[in-house]
Amino acid sequence: MKISTSVFALLAFASFAQADVLKINGSTTVNLPAAEGAEILRAEKKMDITVDTQGGSSGGISALGDGQVQIGMSSKPVSDDDRAKYPKVKFNPIHIGEDAVAMIVSKDVWDGGLQALTKQQTQDLYEGKVKNWKEVGGPDERVVFFNKEPGRGTWEVFAHWAYGDPKKAPQVSLPEVGGNEETRNKVGSTRGAISQLSSSWADGKKVFALGVKTESGEVLQPTPDNIATHKYPMSRPLFLITNGEPQGEAKTFLDFMLSPQGQELVKKHGYLALDQLKTGSP
Amino acid sequence: MISARSSLPLALRARAPSLTKSASFVFSGLAAFALAALTLIFLVQSLPVWGQEGLGYITGTKWFYRANLFGALPMIYGTVVVALIALLLAAPIGIGAAVFTSEFLPQRMRLAVKITIELLAGVPSVVYGLLGILFLRNWIYDLFARFEPLSGDTLLTAGVLLGVMILPTVMTLADDALRGVPADQRRAARSLGLNATETVLGISLPQAKRGLIAALLLGLGRALGETIAVYLVVGRQDNNLPQNIFSVRAWLEAGQTLSTKLGGSETNIAYGGSLHWAAMVGLALILMAMVLAVTIAGAWQRRTHDAASL
Repeated sequence: MKISTSVFALLAFASFAQADVLKINGSTTVNLPAAEGAEILRAEKKMDITVDTQGGSSGGISALGDGQVQIGMSSKPVSDDDRAKYPKVKFNPIHIGEDAVAMIVSKDVWDGGLQALTKQQTQDLYEGKVKNWKEVGGPDERVVFFNKEPGRGTWEVFAHWAYGDPKKAPQVSLPEVGGNEETRNKVGSTRGAISQLSSSWADGKKVFALGVKTESGEVLQPTPDNIATHKYPMSRPLFLITNGEPQGEAKTFLDFMLSPQGQELVKKHGYLALDQLKTGSP
Repeated sequence: MISARSSLPLALRARAPSLTKSASFVFSGLAAFALAALTLIFLVQSLPVWGQEGLGYITGTKWFYRANLFGALPMIYGTVVVALIALLLAAPIGIGAAVFTSEFLPQRMRLAVKITIELLAGVPSVVYGLLGILFLRNWIYDLFARFEPLSGDTLLTAGVLLGVMILPTVMTLADDALRGVPADQRRAARSLGLNATETVLGISLPQAKRGLIAALLLGLGRALGETIAVYLVVGRQDNNLPQNIFSVRAWLEAGQTLSTKLGGSETNIAYGGSLHWAAMVGLALILMAMVLAVTIAGAWQRRTHDAASL
């Protein structure tokens, strides 16, 4: 009897403690500033926060939809499909910054002379029509395309640009990569490699961000100016998403991320803070 | 607790069920119930895909979810090949190490070595995966450069990494099996003039055969279900079934296993009652059936072994 009472008390306490933890999950891109923000709040306000990157942006959205976390991190907008899947959830995306996706290549491809791709060339690479880099002006080297997993924010931005709509992108069977760290590592250590990655993760030592060549021959680089004005075609908003208006601990966290200190973290990791986005642009 | 029970009247004491007994009954019942419930849920939720694809779900070679094409064979192939490579690697090393610890090391040294190796089993698999990304991928990529693998993400990389991961399981169970061979048998062999090697090869290994097979099967069961470490180095390429499934060159291709497919973000896309979701759950069902079959076979071998050595 005594044992069962204390076990019950323990369970009750555990579930109470559980409720006190602010749980965040989603995009590895948004994770960088968010995890650092969580670190600061843990130290300064003794808040209990866990930040996870299971399944990237779509993982963040579904974890929020299932009520497993209070905040989802996403590098893509919440789609109508997502809202249809979780009709009871009021997705409330809060814009915290802006980022760009670039096609990134390994050093040998970059040094071999390939520094920009047109949309058509990118499609041909993705669909396996181009199998050697020399066909698009690069070195004589096989193309190894590491595809970001569909469902990842990065992949969706790429598919929007290349095919107009992720649903129109042809289904391919390429080797897949998940998080940003994995992508950068694998492209950097493989000859002839290409993938889609947040441009701020391209370090310019082992992996390089390609420019986008327009039809008129102009090469657009993912510079802060080009991202802010949306001249660079693969720019994207970064979101923290809550279910309805943020409350309690979630509100404290969001207020912090939108404060000058939080926005400084967004800049620190190579993304654009809200005040850097030119007013008037869509 | 013992004193409390012994103060009860004798008749009551005989009938009162002990706490240990009823608790263990309840908990093993819970475990069996969880397994049955899980199987049932997987079965019910995957029904739509069996309805549409029939057996073609298992034998189909194309998986394109937006075209509603669901064929799991390339993933079953990947799972089997990766586990097989792991076993090919872990079997000789694991059993060899077990022979060394059980037959040649003094008892105290044996325990020290055994505990050290068992500790390896406690290392989280994501750590193995990261080591795989940092080192093993590049080693395989360079070592097999003349066969021109596209990258370091191959079935072989995943198999080698898994081999290292199941080594502790294989080794420690094989060691137990060899220790189960009565010492009298060895003494008899030695007194008949066999040397140490002949004793191991002629007496210990044959007598521990069932236990050794069980060790391999239980290691295999672990290999089949492992996700995250494989996920990071296998390449996760769909539909990459080689023309000839016995081709060894195909081991240097990227592939996909049942568990890595389930671990990927496609599970999030599929979520929500559609045919796609049924197909994902079906993969879980196939994987569970494979692991269960191997584990039960392993446990069975172990049990009959125990009975024989009594």
